Amino acid sequence: MEPLTWTGSIAFLNPLLALALGLMALSIVVWMLASIVLPEDQMTVNPDGTLTSSSSVRNLIQAALRYSFLASVALAVAYIVLGIVMGTSAGIIGAIAQQFLPVWLSLIILYAMSIAFKRKLGLYGKLFDSPIGMIGFGLVMFWVFTGIFGALDLIVTHDPLAQISGMKNKVPGTPLPNLEDGQYAWYLLGGDNLARDVFSRMVKGAWIVVQIAPLATMFAFMVGITLGLPAGYYGGRLDTLLSFLANLILAFPVILLFYLLVTPEIVATGVPNYMAAVLFIFPIIFLGVLLNSRYYTRPNFRTPLLIGVLGVALWLYLSLISTGGYIINTDSYSIWGLPTYLDLFNIPGGILVVFVSVVFVNSPTVFRIVRGLALDIKTRDYVAAAQTRGEGPWYIMLWEILPNARGPLIVDFCLRIGYTTILLGTLGFFGLGLPPESPDWGSTINEGRKLLSIYLHPALPPALALLSLVLGLNLLADGLREESLKD
Amino acid sequence: MNKLADYDGPILEIDKLSISFFTRLREIPAVMDFSVSVQPGEAVGLVGESGCGKSTVALGVMQDLGKNGRIVGGTIKFKGRDLSEMTTEELRDIRGNEIAMIYQEPMASLNPAMKIGKQLMEVPMIHEGVGAEEAYARALEVVTDVRLPDPERMLNSFPHQLSGGQQQRIVIAMALMSKPALLILDEPTTALDVTVEAAVVELVKDLGKKYGTSMLFISHNLGLVLETCDRLCVMYSGEAVERGSIHDVFDEMQHPYTQALFRSIPLPGADKNSRPLVAIPGNFPLPHERPPGCNFGPRCDYFEEGRCDAKDILMEAVPGNDRHHTRCLKFQEIDWNAPITVGEQKEKGEIGRTVLKMDNLKKYYEVAANALFGGGETKVVKANETLSFEAHESETLAIVGESGCGKSTFAKVLMGLETATDGQILLDNRNIEDVPIEERDAKTVGEVQMVFQNPFDTLNPSMTVGRQIIRALEIFGVGDSEADRKKRMLELLDLVKLPRAFADRMPRQLSGGQKQRVGIARAFAGDARIVVADEPVSALDVSVQAAVTDLLMEIQREHKTTLLFISHDLSIVRYLSDRVMVMYLGHVVELGTTDQVFAPPYHPYTEALLSAVPIADTSIEKQHIVLEGDIPSAMNPPPGCPFQTRCRWKSEVPDGRCESHVPPVQTLADGHQVKCHLAEDILAKMEPVIKIAAE
Repeated sequence: MEPLTWTGSIAFLNPLLALALGLMALSIVVWMLASIVLPEDQMTVNPDGTLTSSSSVRNLIQAALRYSFLASVALAVAYIVLGIVMGTSAGIIGAIAQQFLPVWLSLIILYAMSIAFKRKLGLYGKLFDSPIGMIGFGLVMFWVFTGIFGALDLIVTHDPLAQISGMKNKVPGTPLPNLEDGQYAWYLLGGDNLARDVFSRMVKGAWIVVQIAPLATMFAFMVGITLGLPAGYYGGRLDTLLSFLANLILAFPVILLFYLLVTPEIVATGVPNYMAAVLFIFPIIFLGVLLNSRYYTRPNFRTPLLIGVLGVALWLYLSLISTGGYIINTDSYSIWGLPTYLDLFNIPGGILVVFVSVVFVNSPTVFRIVRGLALDIKTRDYVAAAQTRGEGPWYIMLWEILPNARGPLIVDFCLRIGYTTILLGTLGFFGLGLPPESPDWGSTINEGRKLLSIYLHPALPPALALLSLVLGLNLLADGLREESLKD
Repeated sequence: MNKLADYDGPILEIDKLSISFFTRLREIPAVMDFSVSVQPGEAVGLVGESGCGKSTVALGVMQDLGKNGRIVGGTIKFKGRDLSEMTTEELRDIRGNEIAMIYQEPMASLNPAMKIGKQLMEVPMIHEGVGAEEAYARALEVVTDVRLPDPERMLNSFPHQLSGGQQQRIVIAMALMSKPALLILDEPTTALDVTVEAAVVELVKDLGKKYGTSMLFISHNLGLVLETCDRLCVMYSGEAVERGSIHDVFDEMQHPYTQALFRSIPLPGADKNSRPLVAIPGNFPLPHERPPGCNFGPRCDYFEEGRCDAKDILMEAVPGNDRHHTRCLKFQEIDWNAPITVGEQKEKGEIGRTVLKMDNLKKYYEVAANALFGGGETKVVKANETLSFEAHESETLAIVGESGCGKSTFAKVLMGLETATDGQILLDNRNIEDVPIEERDAKTVGEVQMVFQNPFDTLNPSMTVGRQIIRALEIFGVGDSEADRKKRMLELLDLVKLPRAFADRMPRQLSGGQKQRVGIARAFAGDARIVVADEPVSALDVSVQAAVTDLLMEIQREHKTTLLFISHDLSIVRYLSDRVMVMYLGHVVELGTTDQVFAPPYHPYTEALLSAVPIADTSIEKQHIVLEGDIPSAMNPPPGCPFQTRCRWKSEVPDGRCESHVPPVQTLADGHQVKCHLAEDILAKMEPVIKIAAE
């Protein structure tokens, strides 16, 4: 087998892409300079109500920018399409494009459906009016699909943990020395220090992020909302106390806190398990109060609903916090939990610690945002109207205040998934929590870092993956904010 | 330097101006074919409802339409020069120097981080390059001119240290610093209390005369325009529909919209039976859904199909009057003096037994000096002081007073959101002053309900209209099943005359008046017997106010509701209430039937309040009583009579008792109470504030 080059037989596109990107960069610079130097353009109104700008220089620059951008995009698409068709003969790029085929298909279907029905989809539909939001959402969904299909073993080329002799630190596109049947013939993005496939590890790493980051953020939101609403609504001593606690947690260095939480001695005392038991009960409280405050006037509907929802939630909760029949199992004592035959799933101890720490450090910030929003919204007349008809405080908080605070909260949720992703990367980088051979991006970057001056390729793909996912989340948040402000 | 000397001719000449805003979807024409001219020293009023484009005209004059706005036709000439042809530098030189603008919110116009003096001194220093000392002298002079006490201290304070009225005076002072040729006032007094408003209007009028400034006065209040302007221009849906001198337009109106506008506002001089309020039917058209031909056509009584909606209508001069124009094809055919066709006269409900009784109600708040750790000194705010009155079945009791008079606190105590400090509230002879709302049973809560002031805030924006009403029904325990409540909800929508389809709408799809109707429906969900209406129409447009007011009165007639109508608008109070209670700084200063309160003898505060209300009727003569200063803070009330700091009758009371003793309640006539030291013979000498001039 020949080693793969980057672009293989579609190398003729490279100078074109370089030209297009160069032109785009140039026109961006000119465009920025021109907007400072050139006078404000005079708009004239046509009889049909359209606008024309009279300044021809500005128009020229605008056109140059638009066409060079379109050309770059078209060329990027050409790489992918040709890659899908030609596979490895289009080099590494082509092979990767082909491996990602299920992701491309899913993205196309998702976008086609969303744009077709965007007027019926509320805020999500409006996202497709904003180019920035669309780009951000595309990046995010790319990694989400990659994570899902990667977990289904559709994209990966090799077992992310398998070491193949002779592949240690090999450059991207190196063929396997002794090809066995059914084995993919190349390490597309090279091999790492332990002769594992960098590409497959990057894809597998996406699944860990996609699993943990949104879920941990959601738990942080539940905790933050359940505490932030009463703090803002009641104010007074409760507010002072809770805000003080939040400040206390915020003032403590995050990394030190993580080190503390994963120290074997601390784990042995069961502190992370206690924290999990406390933090994860908030969603149950949240759900229970949410439903009860709304439906207490209709007991025959409320009671079965609550029993059903809380039953399932409690079961999940107990499954989550109990491992092997125990909630806490230290050397000196143990607390019984759900028996193993009822236990739905076991979270590995390391992941649980990561989860707990992420929720723990994120919830104070959410708490402060929710508290601020509650302080503002509680002065509205509709809150007074609810009070004067004798609504309970929790109904007012959860059904009058919370839905009207959703705009900023949704935006913050997207941003916070990004922070959580970075936090997960940081944790992995320091080798905290996750097992050492885990393919998560943080650990991979850390391993690649050691030989960075000699071999660049093992560290770069996970770093770029992390960057593009977080960038996508930030752009998505920007798009959502922009669109939620309109209307 | 006199900027007026080198030019004579109209200061501002707007000719066939059209302004559009461009959105992603479409062009939205905000102003169309608008012409007006302002002569030197003349004050021109621009009147219209919200969304009619009056503020857009002002922004167009300032050439400050933002990114999306554009002048698409016509010219704006300032002293003969076309503003749209000026460069950015020339415009910057004119703004704030020759054309000054005063906005609605005084606090938003002042830089909170800069001392007043510095902000004022900036104006001549930037525009005329004068030195700091001269600028300071000028600032001092102008602050004295706007009649602020202790000008030097004022210049040395920050904006937040002043009251709203004082801030607005500073904004006016700032506008006058450069002695502009044209002053644009965009609803300058809307955010102020009535008595403060009267003082500011008086000031603007005097200063206009003193400085010879031309003024463009934008307002929705016809009464204010009558008091301040020489000429006016009525706008509707982006067009000027009528313009002319105040007397021509007020007394010989030539456009159906102007007529409808006048008929929908209550005038304190008129009787509600001989001159009932006539609401304008329909809704204001959205800018992109304007009808062909006459914009007012679909709501006009004189509409003629095929003629009024055929083609665009131009302004036509009214023969015989000076510069009086109207945009109506039929103005010469319509009999403008025809009497209002009075609709079916509805019998007022019989006033029944006492439902609600307040006896010596007191509500004090303790304000801790140090909020975080408690302790320290606590101050007592006396929000309500010895409040006593009775309210009967199917009676409207108006509670009148300016901000800080304690009317909202009183509402809170009645609703059970706060408990009383002392005294009692008897609802059907049950004491409820100590029962917070959580402990009240559903029936009591449903019986005492409230309608709120701000229509844009009264409904939860993320719940459908129907859901919100059903929720109220659930809470009040009305209906046995979901279907039952849904039926009742639809009936409630019928009651407030909203189409049943509105049940599935979100609040943002409703107009202000429609939202207020939903608020009323929600309040009546539990068959309310006492409804506290907290300024229910003050935030609505004039043409909608009448409809909502009528709706409230109609429901009251049917349900025998006791209506506690909180308002500062004496015109509407006179129109709909049976009895009136005037409050000042937590005290009830006057209580009596509407006729008793609106005729002498008055409490001195009521007298000033009556005089302050702008009345849109040229045949009314008003005594001008301008109160000095602002309402004292409830934290720190004056000793003795609460009103003594601003009272003009104080000298009539011997021994300075006003400053030392809280006045006793005097009963003048049957049920007419006044809390004043003035002796009966002096009270008897008072003259009526509002007089209808002899025809």
